[in-house]
Amino acid sequence: MTPTVSASGLSLHYGRTRALDDVSLRLTPGVTGLLGPNGAGKTTLLRVLATAVPADRGAFTVLGHDPATSRGRQEVRRRLGYLPQTPGFHPDFTAFEFVDYVAILKELAGRGERHREVRRVLDEVGLRDVRGRRIRKLSGGMRQRVALAAALVGDPGFLVLDEPTVGLDPEQRMRFRELIAGAGEGRTVLLSTHQTEDVAMLCHRVVVMARGAVRFDGTPAELTARAGGRVWSSAGRDPGAKAGWRTGGGSFRNVGDPPAGAELAEPTLEDGYLLVLDGDGDTAEVAA
Amino acid sequence: MSAVAVDAPVGAGTGARGSSNGALLALARFEARRLLTRVPVVVAFVAYAAWIVWHTPGSWDGHPALQEADRDTQAMPMLVGLAVLVSANFAALRPVRHGTEQHLGVLAMPAWRRTAAHALSVVPAALLTAVCVGGQFTWEALKPGAVGHGSPAELAAGPLVVLAAGTIGVLVASLVRSPVAAPLLVVPLLYLLVLGSGSGGADGVSWLAPVVVQSGGDALPSGLLGRPAAWHALYLAGIALCAAFLALLRAGGRNVAVRTGVALTLALAVAGGVLQARGAQPSPELTAARERAVSDPALRCTERGRSTYCAFPEWAPRVGVWAGVVDRVQALAGGTARERRLVVGQRIGAADLVSDAAVPPRSEPGRVTVGTAWGGNRVPEFSSAVAAVLVTGSEKAGGELCDGRMVTLMWLSLSWQDDPMDALRRVRLDDSVSGSAIVLSPTEPLSMTEGQTDVVRRLLEKPAGGTGERVKAHWDELTEPGVTTARAAELLGVAGPREADSCE
Repeated sequence: MTPTVSASGLSLHYGRTRALDDVSLRLTPGVTGLLGPNGAGKTTLLRVLATAVPADRGAFTVLGHDPATSRGRQEVRRRLGYLPQTPGFHPDFTAFEFVDYVAILKELAGRGERHREVRRVLDEVGLRDVRGRRIRKLSGGMRQRVALAAALVGDPGFLVLDEPTVGLDPEQRMRFRELIAGAGEGRTVLLSTHQTEDVAMLCHRVVVMARGAVRFDGTPAELTARAGGRVWSSAGRDPGAKAGWRTGGGSFRNVGDPPAGAELAEPTLEDGYLLVLDGDGDTAEVAA
Repeated sequence: MSAVAVDAPVGAGTGARGSSNGALLALARFEARRLLTRVPVVVAFVAYAAWIVWHTPGSWDGHPALQEADRDTQAMPMLVGLAVLVSANFAALRPVRHGTEQHLGVLAMPAWRRTAAHALSVVPAALLTAVCVGGQFTWEALKPGAVGHGSPAELAAGPLVVLAAGTIGVLVASLVRSPVAAPLLVVPLLYLLVLGSGSGGADGVSWLAPVVVQSGGDALPSGLLGRPAAWHALYLAGIALCAAFLALLRAGGRNVAVRTGVALTLALAVAGGVLQARGAQPSPELTAARERAVSDPALRCTERGRSTYCAFPEWAPRVGVWAGVVDRVQALAGGTARERRLVVGQRIGAADLVSDAAVPPRSEPGRVTVGTAWGGNRVPEFSSAVAAVLVTGSEKAGGELCDGRMVTLMWLSLSWQDDPMDALRRVRLDDSVSGSAIVLSPTEPLSMTEGQTDVVRRLLEKPAGGTGERVKAHWDELTEPGVTTARAAELLGVAGPREADSCE
């Protein structure tokens, strides 16, 4: 399948800090999860792909357009939906006004057609009833949905979502998962998250980053398979385990190199992620 | 980086796209709608509209000279301009204030085009100001007593001030990324206002102000105004456009069109500024024409009844109302004064829009002066001048009057009016109906003693018919130099003063 995004050798430094280190990847339609500990370079990669900052080295194309040129960057931006990690809002705008404002900045045609599109995405994210309400009066979850609607407006071919479920309660997260799954139908979505559950449930591919570099790029099943034969149960925490915790049943679940004769357990995507990061990140930050 | 040729992938965005210019105009409309609903702008426009409704019905006593009324449309748009400046600045700083720069920076419309939309968003506010200016001026022009011609350049000043204020607000937002800057800018703008009203436009520097106030002196014929209004409009337009283009340049619009726009509009503003400064000084031809207008004005004369009326051509429509006053006063007179041929001539004291010089009285018999203003107090003032000439023979003699003839003069002047007692109050400098007082007239004022005032008041309280018959019957004695106020009162059938006439 022709990739929506094709990047090779992307590098970016902030002073002496290496934020991206020779990152290459190809994204195809569907939801691709981007996992990694804090400081892994996820947000930097998303900002580069969203044309918010240029890379020092390397090249990438989005939907066939090269953002290195002014015209190419413009074409990329016309096809991009971007939900930053901390989206800003204009609090005195209504939800409708804000999404309409973003739609205009995306150069959507004709007032009537644009307003239909704004209504469509607000309906899609479940904000039909509050679209006339000022953003300052909306809850955090609703604001996040306004931001998602703003990213979705104009039917972008490439959707970049930077930790969209942070701060949401479980119910809101479920709702968002549903929205992102819908958004991934027919378009390419790059989803940065700390939630391995989200990746397991939503993504057809997963990329794991650490220290600015790609450590894994494959399917969730392949990432899970990395932990095959390396997860076991024991009565106490196994000293040889890279990570281990007491489960609800009282036994310990260990990840690492099992001792001979260990009682192997079914691995999860999170186990695979922990093992990929082995030595690269702070595994304690990974959500259970 | 190099482009990689690929087939259009599945998942390419299919959202309908418009042109960049279409989006720019859509954003300008969006921002304009928000700008026009901002509290400061709404308050300013409501105050402006209220001022027009309150001020216009009574302005110039219903008899405006339109070449003067056009300048009256310039002050209030300054208030709107300040509101638009602050609001446009706040709107342009919205992404900074709310932290949406990162988000909006990756959308298709680049920052400089967003700035262009903000600059365009002030156009409707300027157009709305133009509607207010047009409404106010049309109201003046439709008054039955209106004369003269307005200047499109003077009328354009208000809307251009609003336009310039808005684009300056946008420019300031691109220079200082703080919402405090625009409110602080109001202080130097107020200084500019003072600059514009300080010398009354007599020097070139004062024309750097957005609005140049010139409110002293007589209303002048259009040809004598000498205000560089067209250059000032060019100057304001240049500033408005230059500020807009500089804001685009500052926001990253560094293409040829923007650079050329900066250069051209800067040239426009400078050219307008220089030419208006040169135009502020009257040319030798204008100075000569102004001097002629004071000493020997070129008037158009027409016959009405037995009298002749000479007016500046633009005031010709007003001859009828002057003739109406003359006819009424003359109808009350007796003797030969009823048939006397008068020559009513329009005169101005100075022709520089600033000086408030008095017009000297004429010593030639039968000559009456009328000014360029009319309505309100000007009517009894002119009526008094006509009566003075009928009673004493000339304006100069009327100014020197110090005997009982003053009673007859004032009765002739006031008794025909709708409310004679109110007219007496208004024609006297101290707005009183008792005691001695100065009586205003188009030239030198007359004076009334306390005793004369009492007699005139008593006469005006009586029905005019009986007094009229007495005036006609005793005309010769009433207009005899040296007749006392007591004798005049006796002849007219009211109590007179006990003291002799005493003028100071």
